[in-house]
Amino acid sequence: MRDSPDIVPDPRVVAKHRHALREGYRRWPRLGRPPAMGDPRWTADLILATWVAAETGRFPAEGLESRVGASGGGFDRLEFRFLPEDGRLAESEPVELSIPLNRRPCDPRIEIPVPWYGGGMSFGSISEQVMLGRAMAAQAWGTFTSTGEGGYPDSLLPYKDHVITQVATGMFGVREETIQRARIVEFKYAQGAKPGLGGHLLGNKTTMTVAKMRESLPWVSLFSPFPFHSVYSVEDHKKHIDWIKAIQPEALVSVKVSTPTDVDMVAVGSYYAGAHILQVDGSYGGTGAAPEIAKKNIAMPIELAIPKVHRFLEAEGIRDEIVILASGGIRTADDIAKIVALGADGVVLGTVELAALGCTRCANCEAGRGCPFGLTTTDPELSLLVEPEWAAERLGRLYEALAARLRDILRGLGLRSLRELRGRRDLLRYRREAA
Amino acid sequence: MSADLATRLLLSRRELPAPAEIARRKLDAEGGCGVIGIACETPLAGRHLLQALRQMRNRGNGKGGGIAAAGLDPEFFGVAPTWLRQDYLLAVAYLDPACRPEVERTAIEPTFEVDAVFEFPTLGAREAIPGLDVTPPAVVGYFARVRPDVRRAFCERHGLPEGSAAEDEIVYQNTYGLNRAFYAATGDKRAFVLSHGKDLLILKMVGYGDDVVRYYRLEDLRAHVWIGHHRYPTKGKVWHPGGAHPFAGMHEALVHNGDFANYASICAYLAQRRIYPLFLTDTEVAVLVYDLLHRVYGYPSEYVIEAMAPTTERDYCMLPASRREIYGWLQALHMRGSPDGPWFFLLAQSLPAREVVRLMGITDTSMLRPQVFALQRGEVAVGFAASEKQAIDAALESLSADDPRFWPRADLYWNARGGSHTDGGAFLFTVARENGGAPQLACTDKFGRLIEPDPARRPPRWAIRRGVAATDAPPSLGEGPPEEVFAALVERVPHWDYETLAGALELLVERAAGRERAAVVEILTRLLDRRYGTGSMKRSGVLALVEEALGRVWDGVRRAPNGSWRWYGWGEPEPPAPGDAETTLVVDARGFPPEGPESLARAIVRQYRRGFRRMVVARTRGQRFIGCGLGPESSGVRLEIYGSPGDYLASGLDGAEVVVHASGQDQMAQIMRRGTLVVHGDVGQTFMYAGKGGEVFILGNAAGRPLINAVGSPRVVINGTCLDYLAESFMAGDPLNGGGFVILNGIAFDDDGRIVELPTPYPGGNLFSLASGGAIYVRDPYGTVGEDQLNGGEIVPLGEGDWQAMLPCLEKNARWFGIPVARLLEVDGRPRPPREVYRKVQPSRHRALLPEEAWVKRGFARPAAAHWRRLRRRLARR
Repeated sequence: MRDSPDIVPDPRVVAKHRHALREGYRRWPRLGRPPAMGDPRWTADLILATWVAAETGRFPAEGLESRVGASGGGFDRLEFRFLPEDGRLAESEPVELSIPLNRRPCDPRIEIPVPWYGGGMSFGSISEQVMLGRAMAAQAWGTFTSTGEGGYPDSLLPYKDHVITQVATGMFGVREETIQRARIVEFKYAQGAKPGLGGHLLGNKTTMTVAKMRESLPWVSLFSPFPFHSVYSVEDHKKHIDWIKAIQPEALVSVKVSTPTDVDMVAVGSYYAGAHILQVDGSYGGTGAAPEIAKKNIAMPIELAIPKVHRFLEAEGIRDEIVILASGGIRTADDIAKIVALGADGVVLGTVELAALGCTRCANCEAGRGCPFGLTTTDPELSLLVEPEWAAERLGRLYEALAARLRDILRGLGLRSLRELRGRRDLLRYRREAA
Repeated sequence: MSADLATRLLLSRRELPAPAEIARRKLDAEGGCGVIGIACETPLAGRHLLQALRQMRNRGNGKGGGIAAAGLDPEFFGVAPTWLRQDYLLAVAYLDPACRPEVERTAIEPTFEVDAVFEFPTLGAREAIPGLDVTPPAVVGYFARVRPDVRRAFCERHGLPEGSAAEDEIVYQNTYGLNRAFYAATGDKRAFVLSHGKDLLILKMVGYGDDVVRYYRLEDLRAHVWIGHHRYPTKGKVWHPGGAHPFAGMHEALVHNGDFANYASICAYLAQRRIYPLFLTDTEVAVLVYDLLHRVYGYPSEYVIEAMAPTTERDYCMLPASRREIYGWLQALHMRGSPDGPWFFLLAQSLPAREVVRLMGITDTSMLRPQVFALQRGEVAVGFAASEKQAIDAALESLSADDPRFWPRADLYWNARGGSHTDGGAFLFTVARENGGAPQLACTDKFGRLIEPDPARRPPRWAIRRGVAATDAPPSLGEGPPEEVFAALVERVPHWDYETLAGALELLVERAAGRERAAVVEILTRLLDRRYGTGSMKRSGVLALVEEALGRVWDGVRRAPNGSWRWYGWGEPEPPAPGDAETTLVVDARGFPPEGPESLARAIVRQYRRGFRRMVVARTRGQRFIGCGLGPESSGVRLEIYGSPGDYLASGLDGAEVVVHASGQDQMAQIMRRGTLVVHGDVGQTFMYAGKGGEVFILGNAAGRPLINAVGSPRVVINGTCLDYLAESFMAGDPLNGGGFVILNGIAFDDDGRIVELPTPYPGGNLFSLASGGAIYVRDPYGTVGEDQLNGGEIVPLGEGDWQAMLPCLEKNARWFGIPVARLLEVDGRPRPPREVYRKVQPSRHRALLPEEAWVKRGFARPAAAHWRRLRRRLARR
C-alpha cells in the first residue's frame, strides 16, 4: 500500500487529522452553513444531508433540503404526483426494491436487493481503502461495486462475488484471472463526465503503487484511448463481448456508455451484441481521472437520455430483455425514483458514495495530493485518512437511508415494488416555476 | 472527360425533382459487416462465393445480404454475348409484384427498348431458407437500350454530344425517377432498381449474403468478378432489401464495411451537385460519390481513390512533388465528400467501352476496418479482397475442390496501408481482354504498380496424383531424426516437381502410421514453417501439399489413436483423459462454431481442464478466441495451431505456449501477460493491444496499430514490418531493468528462402508516439527511419545494455525461425557491431518532476525517522 517502505506515517498524526475532519462535519449546525460549499447541482444541503444519512441511516427530516438540488432543471424540477394521504400505502406495508441484472432468457440469474450498485472508480482515481470500503458495503448489502480501470487489488479478493471487473479502453490491470473471477464484467466504452476522451489519470496521481498495479511507469499521465482500438462497430463490439464470454462464460456483461445524441442506437447495438446490462452514463457524473476541461464540457443529461433509450427499446420490442441502469449524477433517493419513472431499471452510484465519506465536491480530485479527505487520492499518507471499515459502515448507513426514502416514495405513489415504477412518466410532473 | 461535359451532365439534372429536404441523418445504423470480393481470369460459379460468405456469417446478423457480379456469363441469361456489353442490364426488384406493369409502362418502356427480359428463378417460398424473416423480392432483369429518340432529345436539350456519357446519364436519371416513385425511403416500398450497369448485376435481400446466392439460384451463374456482403444493421424491426448492400453507381456495385461520421456533410456535398440519396445509408452515398468522381468528372482511378481516402500527414510529404500538387487540389475540392470514419469498400465494376471488369478494394486512411488481399496466379489467376483471410482460404478450398487449376493457398496475402505513399491503401484486380485474346488479370495498387508473384515458378495442378515414386527421396526419410530429414529434404526440394514431392510426402505419411508420428509431424511442420528454395515450384503449391499431408496424418490419428496421440472433433465423443502430460490431443477444428458456448475455444479449455497439456488444433477455419480462457495456471501447456485461425487468438494468454503454423488475424494477443506466442506468418490489426508481458515472435509483418497501450514487460520480435502506429502509448517500464521492448527487424524472405532487407523497416508514421516507457529496437543499418516518424520519441544509439537485453530474444527468434543472429548483424554481406545495425527508439525526456514525485523521491533519500521528525517539527510550528 505504501510507495516506499521508508514512509511510515505516524498513526497519531493520521488520527488527529481524521478527528479534525470528521468533527468539522459533526459541528456544522452550530457553526452555521459552510460559506463556500457545494454548487447548484450538489448544494451544501445535499452534501451535508448525505453526511448525516451516512452517520444516522436516515436523511434529516428537517433543516436540510435532502431531496433536490438547485440546478433549476432536470431532476430538480421534477416532482412526483403523490396520491392523496388516504390513498398511500401504510408504513407497515412491505415495499420491494430488488431488481434483476439479467433479463435475457439465458445465462445466470443475478438479483440485487436494492436498485443500485457502486460505479467504476479505478485504483488511481480513488484509494485502495475507499475501494475496499465500497466492496465491504456491497457484500453486506448483496449488491456490487466496480473496479474501474486500474487493476484489481488483491485486497478485494474476499469480496470478489460482489466486485465487477471493468474492461475499459486502456485495459489496465485486466487479465484473464480478473475476468474469470467476476460475476459481472463491465465494458466501459465511455464515461459521461468525459465522453470521447477515454481515461486520463494525471501523472501526479500515478504513484508508484498505482503504476505497479497498472504495470506502467510512475508519475506519467496514463491515457486510456478512445475508443477501443479493436472496436469500431457493433459487429466488433459483439466480437469483443464474445471474447470475454470465451474467457468467462458465466459472467453477465454490462456495457457502460455515455450519452451522445444517438444514444438510442448505441443501446440497441449493445443489445444485439449480447449485453445484459446497459449503463447509460449521463453528464453530471464526477471523475477523479480527467482534466478540468473535460469535466466541464459534457454530454447529454441523463434525464433526457434515459427516456429516449427506454422508449426506443420499447418500440423495438426488446426493452424487457435488457437492464438499463442510469448513472452520472444520481444524488438522492428521489433521483433514483425519478430516473426509474423515466425508464431505467436501476442506477449506478458514484459521487454520492464519496459524499457519504466526506467529499465536499471541492473538485480537486485530479490533483495528486489534492483531496483533503483522502478519498480521490493515492497518496500514501492522505489515503490513510479513510479506514475501510469506517467507509463500509458509512456506506451501509447511506444505503439504509436511500432504501428507506425510496420506500416512502413508492408508498406515496401506491406502489408495492420499484419494478412497477419503471417507465411511469405519468407519475412525474415538471415544475415550470422555480420553487 | 472535359470539364465542359461534366458541367453539362450536372446541369442536365436541374430538372430532377429534389427531395423536400437534404438527408442529414442515416435511416439505419450500420453495425459492421463482412465483405469478400473475387476476381478471376476464368468466370467463377457463384457457389464459391457462397462458401466464403458462409464462413463469415458471424460478421452479419441476417438482416441484409447481397452480391454483385460483373463480367457475366451470357448463357445463364440466354442472351447473345454482345448484348451484355451493349445493353444496360436493368435489374428491378419487385417487392409488390402487382406493380410490375405500372413500372414497365411508366418507367422502363418510355426510355428503353427492351431486347430481352429475364425473370430470376428463386427457391419460391422464403421458408425454403431457414431464418428468412422477409420474403425476398421478385427480380426481373431487362436487357435494354436507350431509345434513340430519347437520347437525341436529351442531348439536344442539354447540349451534350450523343454517346455513352449521355446514355449513362439518361439511365442514371431514369433510375432516380423510378426509385423515387416506387421506393421513397419514407413512403411506399413497391419496387426499386437493384442495378442498371452494363455487364453488371446486383441482388440483395433481408438475409445473409449466402442466402442470396441460394435463393436466386446463382450457384451456377458464372462471372469474372464477384463481391458479397453480410450486413449488421441494428435499428428497426422492419428491414427492407433496399437498405442491403451492394449499391449501384453506374457500371459498378459497392459494398462497404464501416460507418461514416460525416454523413450529413457528404449529403450536402452531393446535393450541391444535384445528387440526392434515396435509401439513406452510408453505402449509398459512398457509391454516389464514386459515380460522381469516376463517371461525371472522369477522374482516373488513382484520383478517385485519393478524393475518397486522402493521403495525409507524413505520407503526403513523402509523395513526389507532382503528386502532392494534384492531391492537394483533389483534397481541397473533395474533402467534404470524403467519407470520414472507419470504412472498407469493395467495388465490382465493368468498363464496357474497354471490355474490362475489375474488383477494387479501398481502405480508409486510418485502416480502421479489417481487410486482407490475396493473389494466386496459376494457369488462371484469381485475386481476392476480404474482411478475413479465412474467407479467402474457404473460397480457394471450394475452388480447388472443383477445378484443378486452383489450389488451396494463395501466392500472396497482404494488408493495404490506408492513405499511404507506399501502396495508397487500395488495390485493383483488373480482368481485361487484350486484342480479343483470353482474359488476363492484373493486380495493381493505387499508383498502378503491379503486384505479381514470381512468374518463373510453375503452378501445381491440384489433386496431384499420388503414388509417383519419389526417386530422389533421401534415404533417411523413413527413419532419420527430424532435423536430418528436414535438412535433406530442403536440399532436394528445389530439384523436384510437385509429383515427386507428393511421393516423398506420401512416404512420410506412411511412416506416421507407425510409431513415428511425432517425428513426421515435426518434419512436415518444419516444411510448413521454414523458408527454403522451392526450385521451379511455387511456395504456395508446396505448402498446400504439405498441409494436405499433415491433414492425412491427423486423419491417421483419428483412425488409430494411441497412448500418446488422441483425437477429438466436432460432435464426436470426448477422447479418454490423457495418460500423462505428454499425450497430444489433435482437435480437428472443422465444424466447431467460431464463438459461443460450443465454440472451439471453449472445447480447448474443456480438454485442458480434463488434463490435456499438449494440443494440436488442426484445420482451423476462422474460429475465434483460440487459446483464450486457459487462465494463469497454464504454464507448461502448449497449443499448436494449423489452418486459418480467427480473430483474438491467444488474447489473455497467461503462461501457456501457443505456436501458430500459419498467419494470424486481427486482435491477437490482447492483454497477453505471460507465456510464449510464436507466429510463423503475419498478424493482423491491433496485435497485442494492452499487452502486459510474455515473449512473442512474429516471422512476418504486423498490420496497423500493434502493441498500443502495452505495459509491463512484453518482449516482442517482429521480423518483418508494421503498417502504422507501432507501440503508441507504450508504457512498458525500463527495458534495461526488466521492462518491455519490441525488436523490429525489417526483413523478408525471397522466393529461394534467403533473407532480404525491406526498403525500410518501418514505412509509417506515428512510431512509438506518446510512449512513456519501453523501447523499440529497429534494425535500420541505413538509417531510413527518421525523427519525422516519431511523436514524442527520440532515436538514440544502441547501448551495450540494450544489446544484452535484446540478445536472448534474438537467440530464441533464431531457434524458432532459423534467422541467425549473425545474419541480422550482417550488412551488405559484412558483419557489423550491433550498434551499427540497430537503433533505439525511446520516449523523449520531457517529463517534468511533479511535486508529488519530488516528495516521494525525498522520502526515498532520507531515513524515515529523520523525515518524520522534520514533519512533526513543521506541524508543531503551525
